[in-house]
Amino acid sequence: MPPSNIEIEALKNVVINIGGIEEEEEEWETMGPTPMPGIADLRNWDYKLLKRYKPFYAPYCEMCCFCTFGKCDLTGGKKGACGLGMAAQQARFVTIACLMGCSAHTAHGRHLLRKVLKIVGDREINMGTGINIEAPLTRLITGIKPEKLSDFIPVLEYLEEQIAQLLDSTHTGQEGSNLDYESKAYHAGMLDSLGKEVADLIQIVAFDLPKGDPDAPLVEIGMGCVDESKPVILVIGHNVVPSVAVMDYMSDHGLDERIEVAGICCTAIDTTRYSQKAKIVGSIGRQLRFVRSGVADVIMVDEQCIRADILEQAKRIHAPLIATNDKALYGLVDRTNDSVDDIVAILASGKEPGVVILDPVKAGEVAVRVVQITHEKRKELVNILTDEEFKEYVTMCQNCDANCIVACPQGLPIGEANKAAAKGDTAPLASLFDPCVGCGRCEQVCKKHIPIVDVILKASLPYVKSEKGMIRVGRGPVRDTEIRKVGAPLVLGTIPGIIAIVGCGNYPNGTKDVYRIAKEFAERKYIVVLTGCGAMDAALYRDKDGKTLYEKYPGDFDGGCVLNIGSCVSNAHIHGAAIKVAAIYARRNIRGNYAEIADYILNRVGACGVAWGAMSQKAASIASGVNRIGIPVVIGPHGWKYRRAYLGRKYVDEDWVVYDARDGSKVQIEPAPEHMLVAADTYQEAIPLIARLCFRPTDNSMGRQVKLTHYMDLSMKYLGVYPDDWHIFVRGEADLPLARKEEYLRILKEEHGWDVDLEAKKILSGPVRKMDVGFDATNLEELIKKNK
Amino acid sequence: MEIPFDIGNISGPENARVAQPEALGRAIKNAKRPLLVVGSEILDDDLIEKAIAIGKKGIPIAATAHSMKGFVDRGYTENVHLTGLHELANNIESRDWMGFDKTGGYDLIAVLGGIYYSTSQFLIALKNFATDPIVRCISIDRYYHPAARMSSVNISRKHTDEFKKMLDKVIENI
Ligand code: SF4
Ligand code: SF4
Ligand code: SF4
Repeated sequence: MPPSNIEIEALKNVVINIGGIEEEEEEWETMGPTPMPGIADLRNWDYKLLKRYKPFYAPYCEMCCFCTFGKCDLTGGKKGACGLGMAAQQARFVTIACLMGCSAHTAHGRHLLRKVLKIVGDREINMGTGINIEAPLTRLITGIKPEKLSDFIPVLEYLEEQIAQLLDSTHTGQEGSNLDYESKAYHAGMLDSLGKEVADLIQIVAFDLPKGDPDAPLVEIGMGCVDESKPVILVIGHNVVPSVAVMDYMSDHGLDERIEVAGICCTAIDTTRYSQKAKIVGSIGRQLRFVRSGVADVIMVDEQCIRADILEQAKRIHAPLIATNDKALYGLVDRTNDSVDDIVAILASGKEPGVVILDPVKAGEVAVRVVQITHEKRKELVNILTDEEFKEYVTMCQNCDANCIVACPQGLPIGEANKAAAKGDTAPLASLFDPCVGCGRCEQVCKKHIPIVDVILKASLPYVKSEKGMIRVGRGPVRDTEIRKVGAPLVLGTIPGIIAIVGCGNYPNGTKDVYRIAKEFAERKYIVVLTGCGAMDAALYRDKDGKTLYEKYPGDFDGGCVLNIGSCVSNAHIHGAAIKVAAIYARRNIRGNYAEIADYILNRVGACGVAWGAMSQKAASIASGVNRIGIPVVIGPHGWKYRRAYLGRKYVDEDWVVYDARDGSKVQIEPAPEHMLVAADTYQEAIPLIARLCFRPTDNSMGRQVKLTHYMDLSMKYLGVYPDDWHIFVRGEADLPLARKEEYLRILKEEHGWDVDLEAKKILSGPVRKMDVGFDATNLEELIKKNK
Repeated sequence: MEIPFDIGNISGPENARVAQPEALGRAIKNAKRPLLVVGSEILDDDLIEKAIAIGKKGIPIAATAHSMKGFVDRGYTENVHLTGLHELANNIESRDWMGFDKTGGYDLIAVLGGIYYSTSQFLIALKNFATDPIVRCISIDRYYHPAARMSSVNISRKHTDEFKKMLDKVIENI
């Protein structure tokens, strides 16, 4: 049901009622069946997905303590006092996690809109000549075509209403079906994608960030790229408005070259989209280590992915903290209404360790003025351990392995490394720097009170100082003009896929895995798009010619290119690219037409998300949103802790039947894509799996050849064998890569029992189905032509 | 009482019974359809030799992560099957899955050499959802796994020799 203040008449003009002002939108596209869908409106589509990709649960906690009936033990099929079983409780938990994530992105969008309407006013949304479909998700989900920033107000109202409805459904005594909770998690995921699009478009328009620029400038990244001789403002979080104010104040006062602004997490990415004077320290995993390094003279935080103990960490290095967002206040005094001079004096004197300033422009000015004073005061401080202290600590270590190793989420052998360092070999300790996620759990439990994070940092200093990469600043959306070029090869499979590396830095074995994954697929001419922490970490490594991925590969949306799309909220443009393939290449109406477009993407667009270090609830909602629109996601091993995966069973034939929309006949297809959400343990396992998840039923023979070539090669390269299921993707001899045709035909005959005429190089029987050029695959009855 | 290798990994009221290697070996021996599930860590410290020794006793091996490469490099692929851990758990829970040899599911799963936290989630999934027919899980790893039914204790990396001796005892009893 549409929200009450928004009235939509199908196929007629849309009437949007905002604060009593009624505006008529022109008819720009026929309205589809589900503008502003409510919880149950896309349930039919969700159930189609859930039938094929059944939710798989790995409870992280087998109990429930949500209400005072509990704690309830749900193990072994037991139900809680309210009647809820284990599967539904897991699905409820996932729904709540997705709601946290989509609330973060939506509230971010709301905050941005409020602030930018004050700062820059109500600007027209003009995405430049290459982009006509300015807001594909907004059009798809709400049926609204936004023309100016305030047109996002009804979109945000829709989001906020749906979030409240969904959160209500998680209360004790509401939903009892795990499948319906999954449908709700999908709904939250879809809302998340919309919230992200709103947030990113607002900042792109308000701050004139790149609008799909393939040649977006390169900037420095890494812990070694910050010039410590200058005053350093460290910005952390996801909401760029206060950082923009910092850059503006510096620029207005001729301080650009005299002060360093360095960022961690998505605020860093977004600040460099605004001004290339800023630098990126890195992703979330570097946060504690960089703070401890003492380089920052002021720390300014906004929202999301900030350490909860940031105040304590800032105090430790005597750097004042400025909190700029009401979601994260750290118990500090709110000085928003005090004069800038007063606040600067308070922070410079150290009378208060930090302040809250909710006016971003004021916060920006304070940060720039204070940093020049604190930098001078902090010059004499030594924050990194001295050689003597280091030696003392590593010698104190008893290599007890009893405390730190069981506290470490990565299980890192800290004691062994300390022992080696005590004997003069610091290499084992330094080797822990990258796989360490910088959580600080180890040092809280060490009975010898060894500051383990500092010890690892000290041992890694030569590496840290040399950590300097290059990243292209977030380019934002994919242009319509680019989609026109790649639409056909993507759908036919000759560009074998879009690999979308997204999400956080909770990697199983350090940052290099994302570089390896991106490089492998870029070399093979997939389109590699990255956002957020993944985009940053992939930028830290160089090839033998000294080039990072962003320097080596072009930034266009095309095969063999590597694109930094932007921050977490820019993920929406990856959905946007897939939607534009349907809209531009296939000329499908997208307005209020979610299920049809998701069905199109599922069956035709060979894209695969990779959230290798997924950690946050936002990553949970991002993945759910990507899945609902028909794109599978591979997660790293920590992703098992999200409790739920969506896994296909390729041996259950009935799960792999679709309609041919031309006549409604049922067609048995190969499992393409086989899973919706699946974890891999190592990058070597993930790479062939990602290639497998790029198969789509509508690949033409040339496309299938290309995809099979990569799948087989990658499996052989990383696993030492051909995959055991490759034959099910073969629909006829034309699907076989020419270079290996004879070898593959022989394997099909000898190992899989297919009837093959080796001399004529013909497959006589064996495949699940024959290749059919006109096959119009759909999972939706309503898309069968005769039903239309 | 043993602590989980990742100390916060306490999921509920039922935790694995700590078992001696002999008992773990006998559990594998007495199972009708046992399966050894190995992960990438068998490529460390030559643990793969122990996995191959178990394979040579006729126990099929599910090679998860990229452990398959280790078996190929050592020329032992006899009863080793390539799979992903998530996929494997989903299949074990399914009544439609007929195992790697297409003759039926498994009644006992032994884990060795997987990443601790993903293996823990694998075990907890099977504990709660591989219940019809019931599938029993044991850990013969260097980690105590509370989500298994029976588990070895935590053996630190500096005591790898002890761990290998423990595995030898498991193997002797299969
Ligand atoms: S919500 Fe239900 S399962 Fe959870 S504690 Fe309350 S009664 Fe128990
Ligand atoms: S800070 Fe690093 S070494 Fe310490 S517990 Fe966290 S991940 Fe492990
Ligand atoms: S807990 Fe402390 S003493 Fe024990 S191994 Fe770790 S660092 Fe060393």
